[in-house]
Amino acid sequence: MIAEARVWVLRTMDNGSTGAREQILGRLRRSLEKQEKLFRKSIGQDLPDPPMTVFPSPTDKSLVESFATKLVELSGSCDVARAGTDVAEQVMRQVREWTTQSPSEPTEILSWAPNELHVPRLEQTLAEVGISLFVPEDLHDQRIRARAASLNVGITGIEAAFANTGSILLSPGAGRSRAAGLLPLNHLVLVPLSRLYPTFEAWLLKLRQEGRLEALLQEGGQLAFVTGPSKSADIELTLTLGVHGPKTIHAIVFDDTE
Amino acid sequence: MNIDIAAPYQTRVKQALADDNLRTALERATSRLSGKRAQAVAAIDLQRMRDEARAIKEHAIKNLPDLLEQLERNLITNGCQVHWAQTADEANDIVTDIARQRGVRRAVKSKSMATEEIHLNEALEDAGIKVVETDLGEYIIQLAGEPPSHITAPVIHKRAEDISALFQRELGMRPTNDPAEMCAAARKQLRSEFLAAEMGISGCNFAIAETGTICIITNEGNGRMATSMPPVYVAVMGIEKVVPRVEDALLLWQAVARSATGQDVTVYFSVSSGPRRPGHPDGPKEMHVVLVDNGRSRILEREYADALLCVRCGACLNACPVYREIGGHAYGKTAYSGPIGAVITPLLADDPKTAKELPFASSLCGVCREVCPVKIDLPRLLLDLRHDLTELGAPPKYERAAIRAYSNTVEHPGRYNRLSKLARWFSRLLPTNKDGDLTRLPPPLSAWTQSRVLPRIAPRSFRALWNDRGGKGMGSSNDG
Repeated sequence: MIAEARVWVLRTMDNGSTGAREQILGRLRRSLEKQEKLFRKSIGQDLPDPPMTVFPSPTDKSLVESFATKLVELSGSCDVARAGTDVAEQVMRQVREWTTQSPSEPTEILSWAPNELHVPRLEQTLAEVGISLFVPEDLHDQRIRARAASLNVGITGIEAAFANTGSILLSPGAGRSRAAGLLPLNHLVLVPLSRLYPTFEAWLLKLRQEGRLEALLQEGGQLAFVTGPSKSADIELTLTLGVHGPKTIHAIVFDDTE
Repeated sequence: MNIDIAAPYQTRVKQALADDNLRTALERATSRLSGKRAQAVAAIDLQRMRDEARAIKEHAIKNLPDLLEQLERNLITNGCQVHWAQTADEANDIVTDIARQRGVRRAVKSKSMATEEIHLNEALEDAGIKVVETDLGEYIIQLAGEPPSHITAPVIHKRAEDISALFQRELGMRPTNDPAEMCAAARKQLRSEFLAAEMGISGCNFAIAETGTICIITNEGNGRMATSMPPVYVAVMGIEKVVPRVEDALLLWQAVARSATGQDVTVYFSVSSGPRRPGHPDGPKEMHVVLVDNGRSRILEREYADALLCVRCGACLNACPVYREIGGHAYGKTAYSGPIGAVITPLLADDPKTAKELPFASSLCGVCREVCPVKIDLPRLLLDLRHDLTELGAPPKYERAAIRAYSNTVEHPGRYNRLSKLARWFSRLLPTNKDGDLTRLPPPLSAWTQSRVLPRIAPRSFRALWNDRGGKGMGSSNDG
């Protein structure tokens, strides 16, 4: 493969970042122009057209059922709010389960701004049983950061959810901290049915059609796909949960389309 | 760790083979990971996935300079600062300067092979900056002062007892071998590091050119913490990591997860396109991307573009019969072990001869090629490297003399006959085992019998048998 030994010799390298940029790009371009056959055996295919759906998508089950089944397989849990039930009440019961001290004691939980959660009367329902929402404004403020880090439960909504992997997509923004779905040991995630997609590919296709994909990535700062609770198998391949992120993740899927 | 990674290759391999605990740990881990991969790929159209993943990566390498320029443009539009580094030293200087200028004293790191490769931790520590690895496995080996021994499972060589002893010593944990308790001890310690660090550092699994986006794969969430909590975020990426579209990154993410650990997808996939926006409650105030060459453009010059397709899933390590016996440290002072490590370690080196043994550390069985999600023909690359390395450095004198003597013999039937008679006679004087194999040859041939036996030379040569039959084969007397 190597015709001349001199190629192996390290060239004198220019220091300085602009110099480095030109050197690197120049070397890449020269090599690419010189070589007619780049790979030992090229696959001979161009960039594949989306959707690249090679992964099984849910078939026999409904989207909600598939999502719930997957999340449970991943050591998460999922409730589906039936039509007419009070979602706020359901949230309250779950939070109570995680904050067991004494029901009368005031409890603070880390949360997205209530208008980002799309559940009617959520803040009031929780307040009635002494649960208050802490919506941080600037987590680079050390006092706010310490307060957020001390809380046991975080509540977020989602940008999208995906039935065939049990994944959610979190998109930060004003009133939507990254911390709420990351710092507390318990993550309660509210999933409006209208945002549940069968697959990543279906979601990508829709956003492309609507011309929203690039803007979503660029305006969000960071999107996070989250699939189940934080886990590791680094110690003798034994599964342990809650390594850095939440140890439990509980989703409540509710119908927001009526 | 019982392997001295600075020792010569033969010594490292001997140390690895003598370490029963290591081999038990390796056997357990690699079988488990290979098994999980096999299950996960059986559930999908594997060939289609590999073809798509391969096509994406081929396209990316073919268009690498254009994609890098597009990525740079979009990263800058998104508010990132972009730096280019030709060498490890340049990259380390860039990151150290960013840290110094901002008065950074503590940095947290998400797992990254590129930063292992350039030894970023040492450079930062030399500048007086404390660096903490936050992937549980990487944290364990950082406490132990060891390099990773696997691309995706860095602490594959340690047993729970070893880790427990380490945590008791370093973290004051109470004696326990329960992984959950050990994990909780690490969580507590690392959480305070995350909240206090002024800088977060990550590698990059994929960079999306069309949107200017850096993607990080983790299961623990340390990638998300390191890229979200500290005020400064620095991503260090090899230049071969760029892909054209969002769809490509999502497909490759799924391909890596299935190939590495048999998951549908990893728990976290963090997709960063710049610092936090005005009004956002958290996220880094600035984001830097360091584009590192460090030998990659030379891999292309050296006509090994195939090696740049790698997505670092580690499937070839788990499948390799050599890796499964000796583990990562036996591959020496390199971040990359196993079949892909044997290819890219010499290729990335300024002088490939420093790792000249590695391409020979393979039986060329081909299982690595079968499991690779981007269909890299690793056995072909290993063979080509053997050829190139031999051309490059003349083999030792005795080897050349031996090969000359061999060709002088086999090219002359008379000489061959006389010598094989002599060898047959001589071999009767040598010790054998119960199967009649030779167990001890005199020097210099003793190098062979130190670790294996030599089959006994047949009592009669083929030529003699042929002459006995009057020059006819076995079947020829009956049916012509």
